[in-house]
Amino acid sequence: MQGLVKDLSAFLGPSQILSLPEEMLAYANDATHYFKSRIPDAVVLPHTTEEVSKVMKYAFAKEIPVTPRGAGSGLAGGCTPVHGGIVMDLKRLNKILEIDKSNMTAIVEAGVVLKRFQDILEKRQLFYPPDPQSASVCTIGGNVATRAGGPRGVKYGTTGNYVTGMEVVLPDGSVITPGGKFVKQSVGYDITHLMTGSEGTLGVITAVNLRILPLPEANRTVVVVCETLEQAAEIVAEIIARGAVPAMIEFLIKLAITIMNQYFFPPLPTDGEGYLFMYFDGTEAQVEYEAKLVSDICHDMKAKEVRLIEDQKVAETYWIARANVYPLIQTIFERGNAEDITVPRNKLPDLVRAVQAIAAAEGVMIGLAGHAGDGNMHPSILFPQVTSEAEAKAKIAIDKLIRAGLDLGGTISGEHGIGIHKAEYLSWELGQTQIELMKRIKYAFDPKGIMNPGKIWMEDGDGNA
Amino acid sequence: MAMLRLEDYEKIIEKCSQCSYCQSTCPSYINELSESFVAKNRLLLIKETLMHERMPYSSKAKEILDNCLLCTNCTQTCCSKIPIDDIIISARIKAGQKGAGGIKQFVMGKMLTQRGLTGVLGKAGSVAQKLGIAAKEIPQLASRPFDKMYSGTYTPEGEVKKRVAYFVGCGTNFIFPDTGEAVVKVLNHNGMEVVIPQGQVCCGIPALGEGDLEGARNMVETNINLLAGLDVDAIVTDCTSCGMMFKEKAAKCLPDDDPLQEKITAVTSKIWEVTDFLQNQGLNMPPGQLDITWSYHVPCHRGWSPTVKDAPRQLLSQIPNAQLKEFDNPEQCCGGAGTFFMEHRDVAEQIRSNRLEEIQNTKSDVVLTQCPVCRFYIGFKVTDREVTHPIKILARAYGF
Ligand SMILES: Cc1cc2nc3c(=O)[nH]c(=O)nc-3n(C[C@H](O)[C@H](O)[C@H](O)COP(=O)(O)OP(=O)(O)OC[C@H]3O[C@@H](n4cnc5c(N)ncnc54)[C@H](O)[C@@H]3O)c2cc1C
Repeated sequence: MQGLVKDLSAFLGPSQILSLPEEMLAYANDATHYFKSRIPDAVVLPHTTEEVSKVMKYAFAKEIPVTPRGAGSGLAGGCTPVHGGIVMDLKRLNKILEIDKSNMTAIVEAGVVLKRFQDILEKRQLFYPPDPQSASVCTIGGNVATRAGGPRGVKYGTTGNYVTGMEVVLPDGSVITPGGKFVKQSVGYDITHLMTGSEGTLGVITAVNLRILPLPEANRTVVVVCETLEQAAEIVAEIIARGAVPAMIEFLIKLAITIMNQYFFPPLPTDGEGYLFMYFDGTEAQVEYEAKLVSDICHDMKAKEVRLIEDQKVAETYWIARANVYPLIQTIFERGNAEDITVPRNKLPDLVRAVQAIAAAEGVMIGLAGHAGDGNMHPSILFPQVTSEAEAKAKIAIDKLIRAGLDLGGTISGEHGIGIHKAEYLSWELGQTQIELMKRIKYAFDPKGIMNPGKIWMEDGDGNA
Repeated sequence: MAMLRLEDYEKIIEKCSQCSYCQSTCPSYINELSESFVAKNRLLLIKETLMHERMPYSSKAKEILDNCLLCTNCTQTCCSKIPIDDIIISARIKAGQKGAGGIKQFVMGKMLTQRGLTGVLGKAGSVAQKLGIAAKEIPQLASRPFDKMYSGTYTPEGEVKKRVAYFVGCGTNFIFPDTGEAVVKVLNHNGMEVVIPQGQVCCGIPALGEGDLEGARNMVETNINLLAGLDVDAIVTDCTSCGMMFKEKAAKCLPDDDPLQEKITAVTSKIWEVTDFLQNQGLNMPPGQLDITWSYHVPCHRGWSPTVKDAPRQLLSQIPNAQLKEFDNPEQCCGGAGTFFMEHRDVAEQIRSNRLEEIQNTKSDVVLTQCPVCRFYIGFKVTDREVTHPIKILARAYGF
């Protein structure tokens, strides 16, 4: 793009603009590297909201596409600059502006890495529950823009439940501050929560007001080994039905356990098919009670083994291994693409059966892991080898998986967002009328269509992916 | 074990799913906060330039690869188990073969022929001159190198429990011979006979880091031939980077079918970092009381032993009254990274200043680390307290 760097240099320093292909290769996509990717024309690295605003004003005037980017850990291709233009890397907006214990609120800039925020809170006996497994790198801005969740969703909900306000730079460069530090508000349309989950298509989030909680005093980890996948899913449904409230219930299959076992001493037995990792938090008495209640349910339902992990350090290794499952899979497969289907919890056993049936019928390997406690599963097509034949089979299997999830009353994405990865399935879930309404909302924010174009819905005549 | 040949990594490089986890520990990324300077981008860049040659190996490409400290943090973080540091070394080797590196010529000329550090310091001198760095920012040579004071066999009083060889790294030999003295005394005191063979040369890691495979291989050959001939139960080093060189890199400097491989296996199976070794063996003699608080800066080159980073913690916990005050991020890189700080002064200083914040905020009497470069590079700025090797504290607790 002729003159772009020169123009940007008018309001950004030389270390804030990247324009050589060598320095922008990683900016061509996110963790869905196998989807359509493109090296941007330039990457900008603003330090302040003001700089973000200047870039937006410029891009608006010149009608240049702008794609906001956090850590680039997304699993939907959301920050992939499919139409080129400018990638706006927000990681240098990384100040924690306020932690207000008396109000149980915090204000953080968009580029703050989730784990850094959580660690700082923990030292003050405070707690921010949303826990995408990529916490060590993903940004709060990215979390808000994708409405990210994680294992704790079952008890604590996801990012959207903690956002009370934000600072946003609109596509024309103007700055708004919907919501605020208060925990409730009834003033017209809820722009805060419209921005939450907007995947960078409506504006750039530069700072966020968050609710925080006191750090639970005690916790307990329980690992359950199940004979079959259905049994594991049925146990989850039963736990929810009986009113127990674990903080996490993670579902894993034997294949994942065999890779994760390098973290565990003693290793977990591999004679089960389904595994549940559970976590309880609260007061000591609560934790004791919940862990016992759930262990009893597991025993009643004839789980093979219920392992209570007493040692905190050992317990931690289970959760670290859990956070690493997705990249660990890469050690034995050439590719794993994760879906994000979420169903009502009592339908989990049906979903598990459907996944197995689809894998068998299509002759593909489907890994299954997920935040089962909130009904969110990530069936992943595992490619021992990536060939065009394998990709074609995978496509059929994914179509069927998505359809199965919807037929069970579920949704195509619980936490990753749509991006380019799931755009083609959007109409299956929402139907045309809702999509048209969304497009009109998008137009109201972004009349020139410069904000992360090519995302969420299919573009006319373009498969995006 | 594959030799460090870029072609051999074509398949494994594809394992990168760009999950971005490397961003959590890469010091050059954390400093820059730009994805240009992180393993993920470096791998893509290597693929495009030196591996598949779809893009020219430009000065920008070189800058991005050279900005890697080879701290191995990304390799340790990568759940997909990509040997990122080996790939970067292989890329530097290949780039050097294409005649891209003036440094390489220098290393070939100097480091090969000398023990190692003198060459490095020679380079440091000339770089310093060019950049106008104060001479004191370059490690000062000790008045007498360790190998001029100690060589041969040191036998403990009483029963000999084990016989160990001591591989003396360049850092200890030329800058911190006090570490070496402590190693010999503490080992002796615990019933270990210490053999310090003459003729040791640099372990080779600085040469390898520069992409000088030839130079590194020569050093490996010399050291391995020397050490393989010894009748010892273990070979200790006080330097985590030397340990890594032996344990993880030596074999990769030669073809798999090279006759020396057998000796390399034999030697590397005996390699221990000294505190790790002592902790593993158990102390024979209880250390005396020391009223100090200490913090521990864990060296980056720790991945080669699962226990090396906890060894000083456990070992020194046996000293009555010595109290560990942990840093919040004990494993955060200090920016020194071998010879990196000499050539990338600004980047290294920025990384160090982030590190110093935490060190300054953690009030303790001493800062301990097993890496001589960390010791020097942190110690240059932390002047209100001692920065030293953990073995020295143990020696002190024994009254040496
Ligand atoms: C190994 C692994 C595990 C994961 N586990 C989970 C999990 O458990 N739960 C989960 O929900 N996700 C998970 N993810 C996906 C991903 O980490 C989350 O979606 C995360 O929220 C993305 O944050 P990011 O900073 O990387 O954003 P990016 O990937 O950079 O961007 C994501 C989207 O947000 C937009 N965006 C980013 N920042 C802003 C901003 N400031 N303003 C406006 N728009 C913005 C981008 O344009 C893009 O559309 C995982 C990913 C990996 C690789």
